[in-house]
Amino acid sequence: MTDAALALVRLAGAGWSVASRTILGPIELEVEPGECLVVVGPNGAGKTTLLRLVSGLIEPSMGTVFWQRTPLSALTRRELAQRIAYVPQLRPARIPLSVGQLVLLGRYPYMSRFQLAPGSNDFDAVERALGQVGLERHRDRPVDELSGGERQAVFIAAALAQEAELLVLDEPTTHLDPRHQREIAALIRRFNREHGRTVLTATHDLNFASLIADRVVALRDGEVLACEPPASAMRPELLERLFEAPFEVVRAGERPMTVLELDG
Amino acid sequence: MRSPAVWVVLTALVWVIALLAIPFLGAELVRPTDLLSGEPTVAAVFWKLRLPRVLLGLLVGGALAVSGSSLQTLFRNPLAEPYTLGVASGAALGAVAAQQFAPPSAELAIPVVFVAAFAGAAGVTLFLLGLARSRFGFDTATLLLAGIAITLSCSAAILLLQYLADFTRTFRMVRWMMGGLAVVGYREVLWVTPWVLIGSAVLFGMRWTLNQLLAGEELASSRGVDLKRLRLWVLGVTSAMVGALVAVTGPIGFVGLIVPHILRRATGHDHGYLLPACLFGGGAFLAFSDLAARVVMAPAELPVGILTALLGGPFFLWLLIARGDR
Repeated sequence: MTDAALALVRLAGAGWSVASRTILGPIELEVEPGECLVVVGPNGAGKTTLLRLVSGLIEPSMGTVFWQRTPLSALTRRELAQRIAYVPQLRPARIPLSVGQLVLLGRYPYMSRFQLAPGSNDFDAVERALGQVGLERHRDRPVDELSGGERQAVFIAAALAQEAELLVLDEPTTHLDPRHQREIAALIRRFNREHGRTVLTATHDLNFASLIADRVVALRDGEVLACEPPASAMRPELLERLFEAPFEVVRAGERPMTVLELDG
Repeated sequence: MRSPAVWVVLTALVWVIALLAIPFLGAELVRPTDLLSGEPTVAAVFWKLRLPRVLLGLLVGGALAVSGSSLQTLFRNPLAEPYTLGVASGAALGAVAAQQFAPPSAELAIPVVFVAAFAGAAGVTLFLLGLARSRFGFDTATLLLAGIAITLSCSAAILLLQYLADFTRTFRMVRWMMGGLAVVGYREVLWVTPWVLIGSAVLFGMRWTLNQLLAGEELASSRGVDLKRLRLWVLGVTSAMVGALVAVTGPIGFVGLIVPHILRRATGHDHGYLLPACLFGGGAFLAFSDLAARVVMAPAELPVGILTALLGGPFFLWLLIARGDR
């Protein structure tokens, strides 16, 4: 097997259980380098658990998670953070930092306790990241003053400043209005297509998934029902099995869009 | 926007001014000319009483403010500090117990009191840590209520020990419990110096990691912060510092609450600036408070712990009511 064909992250029979209740798995899944992989599924399907497992935030209670050929457990936390950036869904309600300070936090995996201040390469990375999300003008504003969409963009910028190969985002568009959903989707796709970074994200928004995904993972009760491109994954039978609700799938150009049916 | 570094320099300046000016001030002013002429009473007051007292205030106040701001970040709670969490009360109970059970002959050596005070502080800290990790979580109300319960229990235990003690010991304990900086000579100053310096240096070394906590534990953890280790280090270091200070000065409350709160408005939350500013600002605050405590009822001297508690109680209430749970 050549390195080109090597998966960036591979879950080999990996799963997670708490108090003898299995939340996830065991599952087999590969995240290919450069792809945008979107996990969809109902509430409680184990989406967040899957993302946390891949990010190394929790240790699998069965099986192994590999970064290329190395088990995650063989990497230090710092090495892990230089490879994988995580944007959690749940965050403190109030964050007493400016936009620039929050993005600078993403440089932590590169900083030493003995350096008196962040280096110029750290500030450069912050500037680049702010530029990529279009928030340079807001550098000195308190994060708490931003709108929900801008705030999400700042957290993504912090993840970009982390300069990791894999970006993991948990429900990045939840609670956002359509305009901000679109902006975040565009941001993720640009990061994926133009900067060649790998993206793993979870959502219950099927149309968002259809918009950005190379492949869609359908997750229910901790099990992978399917893992295929959105064109084939967005079919009524699968969606109905996934969400236990009737769906109609329509086409918007090339893209399959899903509509809930009330009279199904 | 002004750089937060300016505030670190400013607080350092105030610190130096406190060191140079306060030994001359008090109910009896010391004139520099008298000091230079070598008048023996003046020299004794200046070198043996006032200078060590000011130095002790500068060190202890700084350590209290640095501990307070670190604990506030760790518990994500602006009301956390050694005094409100009950850590200082635990240390006090340890120290009082040591005084009670020691042979009646002489005063105890500081290290013995320290070991007892540290044991008390560490005991309370571990309990809080256990509580925070249990199903109760880190929420404000639980933590503060636990702090109150711990303080009340420790106070009751201290009262019991005092009740059982003979008159001399009781007097010594009560006086010590008020918290004060009245010292003669440099023994106490030399004792606290390494604790304050090493403790503050270790916490300053964790400044990037403490900053990570400001954006939440999940994110911090994903960037490589070992939360368990961080908690142990912050709590261990603050317990050791508070234990070392309480062994000398008795519990001095609210410095660790007032000073970080005010300085945060100036420097922001970045610990790279906040912690040094707290070290200098807290020291200057306690040294000036002690000056006020010496003067306000002259010729009697008020223990500075009473003064900071009088200031701190209302301040704490104001924080609780005006700022709510954050």
